[in-house]
Amino acid sequence: MTAIEDRPTTRAMLAQSSDAASRTAAREASNRVKRASRATLAWLATIVFVLPIYLAVSNTFKPRQEILDNPLGLPINPTLENLAKAWGRDDHLIQNGLLNSLLVTALTVVLIIPISSAVSFWISERTPKVKGVLLAIFALGLMIPPQVVLQPIIEILQVVHLDHSYPGLILQNVGGGLMSFAVFVYVGFLRTVPKEIIEAARVDGASEFRTWWAVVFPLVRPATATVGIFIGLWVWNDFLNPVYILGALQGQTITAGIYASLGTYSSDYGQLFGIMFLAALVPIVGYLATQREFIAGLMSGAAKG
Amino acid sequence: MSRRSESFRRSLGLAPLAWLAFAMYAVFLVYPLLYSVWQSFTNRSPLRLKPIFVGFDNYTEMFADDRFWMSLKLTLIVTVFVTVVSNVIGLLFAMLLNKNTANYRLMRTLVFIPQVLSGVIVGIIWNSMVTQNGLINVVIRNLGLGQGVGWVGTPELATMVVCIVVSWMTIAFCTVVYTASLQSVPAELYEAARVDGAGAISRFRNVTIPMIAPGVTISVTLCMITSLKLYDVLAVLTGGGPSNSTKSTAFYVIETAFSTNRFGYASAIAIFLLALTAVLSYITSGLLRRREAHL
Repeated sequence: MTAIEDRPTTRAMLAQSSDAASRTAAREASNRVKRASRATLAWLATIVFVLPIYLAVSNTFKPRQEILDNPLGLPINPTLENLAKAWGRDDHLIQNGLLNSLLVTALTVVLIIPISSAVSFWISERTPKVKGVLLAIFALGLMIPPQVVLQPIIEILQVVHLDHSYPGLILQNVGGGLMSFAVFVYVGFLRTVPKEIIEAARVDGASEFRTWWAVVFPLVRPATATVGIFIGLWVWNDFLNPVYILGALQGQTITAGIYASLGTYSSDYGQLFGIMFLAALVPIVGYLATQREFIAGLMSGAAKG
Repeated sequence: MSRRSESFRRSLGLAPLAWLAFAMYAVFLVYPLLYSVWQSFTNRSPLRLKPIFVGFDNYTEMFADDRFWMSLKLTLIVTVFVTVVSNVIGLLFAMLLNKNTANYRLMRTLVFIPQVLSGVIVGIIWNSMVTQNGLINVVIRNLGLGQGVGWVGTPELATMVVCIVVSWMTIAFCTVVYTASLQSVPAELYEAARVDGAGAISRFRNVTIPMIAPGVTISVTLCMITSLKLYDVLAVLTGGGPSNSTKSTAFYVIETAFSTNRFGYASAIAIFLLALTAVLSYITSGLLRRREAHL
């Protein structure tokens, strides 16, 4: 009985499986088409989107006449002349600008990280009521357009004779809206730090300062990465504050310096692209080097913001 | 040693650092803000020795000022356009690029680049394309399609160009946020929905949208705040022209304070801009948060 029943079943199974095989093959083929068309669409969209960047980069390496004859193509006679011209300017725009920007950015980040992480730890140890009030005050800084406080800040700096100076620019970077951002990142991250670790340090008799420096600060390193990356980027790219706080006489950061040189070179695209290429190199390389932390930081900010 | 002095001793070191932070924040944010509020009720100017209290005169003048209304109109047009367009395109982009192969990772890296460029650089890149002798017109001429178009020559076209350029920056930002949001959605949810017979559209509405709701809140709010304080891109891209048509309210504040030296009036406009930003971001984040909670 089993033998009789077995045979047709086996045959049916065989038929079914060959059927299934051809169906799988068909599905695979259609999947491959789908995959290929999705990749094509994705590349098309990406290329259209980054076309402005491609234009700026490829034209950086073309001689002047080629930019006008063939702005879209890859460089036929690639040249470093535009970069050399930008680098070799009499006013040392690039060298001075990069150096000034590096100084302002590094000092702002180096100052803001310990100050804001300490105040965040202090805030997160307060009662919920005090904590709520303090965070509400810091929330102001996240929202205020810089134009609202810029002119009063310049007057305050004049009183202490730090107007038109790099220390003035750096101090207002540290104390302004950027500190709000840092505090929110740190306080948000501190919520995830187990209280027991901090309590254990206290039981050992460590001072609050020591608890923060030796225990908390190393624990919040991902938050420090977020704060360092984003505040570094924003200070580097800042335009409004350097232009008005430093003024024209004190040299400029790279971002403000390019703006100052704009009028004179609007017709010489080659040199303009050269300047821009050199100026954009630092944030782009920084972004590529920290891409993972960059995106993680953005999302941690998003979850808490 | 009493407990009080013990806790005082223990907090030495950290507390002063915290007070330093509060002091700096007070000097460089809270005080300037209050100062600006006070100043908005005076006729202060660097050319005047003693400012006079003028009550609401600056605000009444502002509401009768055509330049102010023009700037506000531009700011609102750009804000609505940028917020809507960059969130829609950013989400579509993120969905299109949400695959974990080297190919797609490269595309994502490229698409994210505009958000790390400064407004000044973005302004220059696009300015070199859209001016009368810019690259777009060069291409049009080389192809023999005529003399090209003054892309930033008329108020309407210039406004459109500004909207597109600002969106270009914020699309990159939204794409990053949405990509990360999408990658945090567990694949089992989609499987479960598919087993329940949900089609692609239904899966998008009932799985994707609710799961990325926090990403929507942050993207929408940030695009809005960015557009409301827009200044540097405009300064480079169009210089506010033609005939002031692309001067945002933030631009007008800077011009009033530093070119016409009317600190009092500039403060009034700035305080209005702050109030507008606060109200709009409060309303939108409230609405979006409520949606998050519902789902």
